[in-house]
Amino acid sequence: MYQLIAMYATVFFVFLLALAFAFVYGESKRSGEYSAIQEKGYKIRKFYFLGLIAIMAFATIMTLGRLPYDRNQAEAEGFSEPKVVKVTGIQYAWEMSEERFEVGDKVQFDVTASDVTHGFGLYNEKMELVAQTQAMPEYTNTVYYTFEEPGTYQILCLEYCSTGHHVMVKEIVVEPEGGSSDE
Amino acid sequence: MNDAIHPLAKKAVIWHLALTALVLILMMIFGVIMLMNQGEMISITPQWFYKIMTAHGTGMVGIAALGGTAILWYFLSKYVKLNPAILIVNLVLFLTGVTMVLIAIFVFDFSDGWTFLYPLPAQSAKMYGAAGAVFFLAGMLILGIGFLLLYMYLAARLTAVYGSLGKALGWDIIFRGKKGYGPPAAVVATAMVIITNSTALLAGATVLAASLVNIINPAITIDPLLAKHLTYAFGHIFANCTIYMAVIAVYEVLSEYTKRPWKANKVFLIAWNCSTLFTLMIYTHHLLMDFAVPKWMLIIGQVFSYANGLPVMVVTAYGALMIVYRSRMKWDFASSLFFLSMFGWVAGAIPAIIDATIVVNHVMHNTKWVPGHFHTYMGMGVVAMIIGFMYYFNKTEGNQQHRGIDTFTITLYFAFFTGLVGSFLYAGGISAPRRWAEHLPQWVLSDQVGAVSGIFIVLAAIIFTARFFAGLRSVGTKVPYNKNSAAG
Repeated sequence: MYQLIAMYATVFFVFLLALAFAFVYGESKRSGEYSAIQEKGYKIRKFYFLGLIAIMAFATIMTLGRLPYDRNQAEAEGFSEPKVVKVTGIQYAWEMSEERFEVGDKVQFDVTASDVTHGFGLYNEKMELVAQTQAMPEYTNTVYYTFEEPGTYQILCLEYCSTGHHVMVKEIVVEPEGGSSDE
Repeated sequence: MNDAIHPLAKKAVIWHLALTALVLILMMIFGVIMLMNQGEMISITPQWFYKIMTAHGTGMVGIAALGGTAILWYFLSKYVKLNPAILIVNLVLFLTGVTMVLIAIFVFDFSDGWTFLYPLPAQSAKMYGAAGAVFFLAGMLILGIGFLLLYMYLAARLTAVYGSLGKALGWDIIFRGKKGYGPPAAVVATAMVIITNSTALLAGATVLAASLVNIINPAITIDPLLAKHLTYAFGHIFANCTIYMAVIAVYEVLSEYTKRPWKANKVFLIAWNCSTLFTLMIYTHHLLMDFAVPKWMLIIGQVFSYANGLPVMVVTAYGALMIVYRSRMKWDFASSLFFLSMFGWVAGAIPAIIDATIVVNHVMHNTKWVPGHFHTYMGMGVVAMIIGFMYYFNKTEGNQQHRGIDTFTITLYFAFFTGLVGSFLYAGGISAPRRWAEHLPQWVLSDQVGAVSGIFIVLAAIIFTARFFAGLRSVGTKVPYNKNSAAG
């Protein structure tokens, strides 16, 4: 969902920006008295500035209540007794305390690394990135995810960790709720 | 002061620009090779992919800094007398550092990326031998020392001329109610870059030295999270500062072309002071996926990453639009590129700000969305500013004139750069990871679009560079810069 929002928002705002630059380019062929242009330009700038502040404030309020690592938020979403899975990244594999899941499982991934920094990127069956955190030696990063669709998920390394980085992939299976799948 | 740039400094600026132009083409070719490999159009080994990736990242940021320094020095010389020896010392240390980095990569197979996240270099040193990691880290350290010396010298000069770095940033106007305008934009930007980039370089020197010590004596370790903070405080600020150095040319040249002054009024000075503060803080958006970082720090990373877009969007880019509006400005190579570079900078800031949103970053961090946004403001912003300056330099110091081929090349460059960054952003949108030597079939098409776009970008860069070197032949045939310049 956020990927789509990001793409559409980028296209929309870059298009507006291109319009502004194209308009000014078109107007550059005419002449005008600069002090009058400045006076009007500064007035418009006030509204532009306030508009940007409003958009940023709205985005901040809408998004900071949904922090992916927030324990309180997770508990509010039913993670009071999550399935805790220990994940360790090591060049070039993922070690996990549990590898089979069911739809509806609320999983708390405690992610670390035993050598260098890796990136824990959880991909669904459609190869969409659905959650991630960094796998760092000496630290444990916790990320929460609820499996809502059955299928074969993959964990890809998303932080460059040397020449085997792209082979650091692990498949995990999410079965339908209440039983194993035929897959 | 309006002293002419020292003849030796002028030569050093030419060396900077010539080196920048040539390395830029080579680094672009490296970029195309990586995309072609990901797009299954050619096949290279993963080891070679990551070596090229390390060279591409290090080289592009380094060369943008070198080009930015040439711009800063050239225009600052109009207002502050500068000793060209310092610029040459920086160039020599830069070349020494770059040579060591290239030896590390292509002789000793170092391929840990320009981000060299601790303890990766030490781990690689165990597997592939310590020479590569030591050459790379020491080379980066020497390169950084060159820039640090340059900034210390510039800080001393600005302090001597303006009283302090604070006054060069207009603090007496912002805080003490002094009336009138602040120092020229070149001085304000230089003061900002001195403060932010010196901080970055000290952070970088710390983590580079610590990594070197760790390789030599593994018993001496550093906290990986602290090391990551230091690495990104170095890398992010250093990369950002290439824009803040290069944008000086936009202020100077658009003002000259439009015959409209671009003076440092209070809003301008507040914007640059905000940029100084925010640029120091926002590297934390690289750690939004390190949940071990305190939550308040991650929230600051988001909020101030948003805020850091405001000075450029509301003051600098808006100022460029205002100064060009109904100016009857002559559109040539330089003015076109500087105008378009402002578009590129802001266009890159938009997906950057979106990515700095924690919930978005959660599913887009380290996907190709990230190179998508920074290629926009580096390639269509900083590099456009540097190439625009190359033309401006030849025009002002020689007699280079705009030709039809220049219009064609600019169109070629920006059209295909839009294709390149579009392919990156789209790939990020479909979750294609960055820094992967091989891609899954569903990601390959975007890589191929990027590779083809890249080939045409290289073609444009070759024509730009040929025009630059041809134009250099006439340099020195005109009177010194400030005597025939309308800017000021």
